[in-house]
Amino acid sequence: MGTMGLALPWKARISSMPRERGTRVEPSEHFAGGPRPALGEASSEDAALAAACRSGDLRAYDRLYTLHGARMKNLARNVLGNPSDAEDAVQETFLKVQRSIASFRGQSSFVTWTYRILINTCYDARRSRLRKKEVANDDSQETPRPEPRAPGAHPSLRMALERALAKLTQHQRDVFLLYEVEGFRHAEIAGMLEMTETASKNTLFQAKKNLRLMLEPPRDSAAETR
Amino acid sequence: MQVTCNDRDPIFEDGTLAEWAALEAHAATCPLCAEEVRAWKSLSVAAGELRDYSDSPSFWPRIERALAEEAARNPRRAERQGWFSFLPSLSPAWPAALAGALVLILTLSAAWIYLRRPVDGRGTEDQSLLKSKALKEVESAETAYQRSIDKLAAEAKPQLESPATPLLADYHEKLLVLDSAIAELRAQAGMNPSNAQLRYQLLAMYEEKQHALEEVLETKR
Repeated sequence: MGTMGLALPWKARISSMPRERGTRVEPSEHFAGGPRPALGEASSEDAALAAACRSGDLRAYDRLYTLHGARMKNLARNVLGNPSDAEDAVQETFLKVQRSIASFRGQSSFVTWTYRILINTCYDARRSRLRKKEVANDDSQETPRPEPRAPGAHPSLRMALERALAKLTQHQRDVFLLYEVEGFRHAEIAGMLEMTETASKNTLFQAKKNLRLMLEPPRDSAAETR
Repeated sequence: MQVTCNDRDPIFEDGTLAEWAALEAHAATCPLCAEEVRAWKSLSVAAGELRDYSDSPSFWPRIERALAEEAARNPRRAERQGWFSFLPSLSPAWPAALAGALVLILTLSAAWIYLRRPVDGRGTEDQSLLKSKALKEVESAETAYQRSIDKLAAEAKPQLESPATPLLADYHEKLLVLDSAIAELRAQAGMNPSNAQLRYQLLAMYEEKQHALEEVLETKR
């Protein structure tokens, strides 16, 4: 893919590049606070990207893909469970952005709005997959079906985490994925999932508590005193 | 700053940098907290395993093609549709919900216009009387709408109470969140009954609830 030259300084303001593996540790909001600006801020760069997309310039979509495509696809893959559905969801998201850009009024940042569309598209895809399964009298549960992906450092840990994530509620799973995996802030997640920032923090806390119990049950008191 | 084991969870949930530093200091002398902090942080590290940003070279050309085709098919679609551009993605259950919502919006709008219309030549008492009357109309429309939604909720209750599928469990969760939001808005509206903005927000919540219930009933069918 070409990196088209829309000469706009987006890189400086929008967190576009996915982070290195495993760089986020608590308290992440505070550690990450300095260098990375919030997506939710209605920056002029974000508005410029929105305006370029609104004008129908395909290079603007190319730019959006360059900045966020990999992260969008990764998020969709983690929500939907396989790369093929994820690519469909990301493509559909770009089409929806193109169709409805005229309705974007800038209440949130353009990028937050785009991710909100992506998340809703993933929900729709999951629902429609589930309906098809129900029609076909398939008894299998609607849980993400992990498929092979690029090998990580700890494949067994990844698989255990994927299994545990599948047991969380949808909101807990989504907040965990957005915060811990994709590196969004609670303010951004609140905009994407249409919840409050406090609810996002609380949901993440509950998600991590549940994951901790599933992945690594606390030792009993006897072991602790050992 | 001094923290104890009891402060651990609140710090995990929303601790400041200083609170985290204090917790780490406490954990240095408390094996239980040390273990919990380690396990908590390890989840963030493990999350990195779900990051796969490998590029697939054919993916952007595919999206670009789809965008170009869409643009060629509907060159001025976005401008024409304005904010109704979400309509093509609506599920079949929406038209009914939309019709119901429109009726209510019209009722509320009429009430609002009636409430706000100039009342030259009338005294303060008369104005307040008109406002109260309009407000009553809004409230009675709202009550009727709420009653209808309650009927839907009663119909969907068996499915939601023992959800047979994860989708229904999701709906159940969503409806609980909506109910709590509605209760909060109703409480606010109770304190400030003539605030139209609150009424609109409440209406939006009711619409969302109606939509969710219709989808639950649709899965039953």
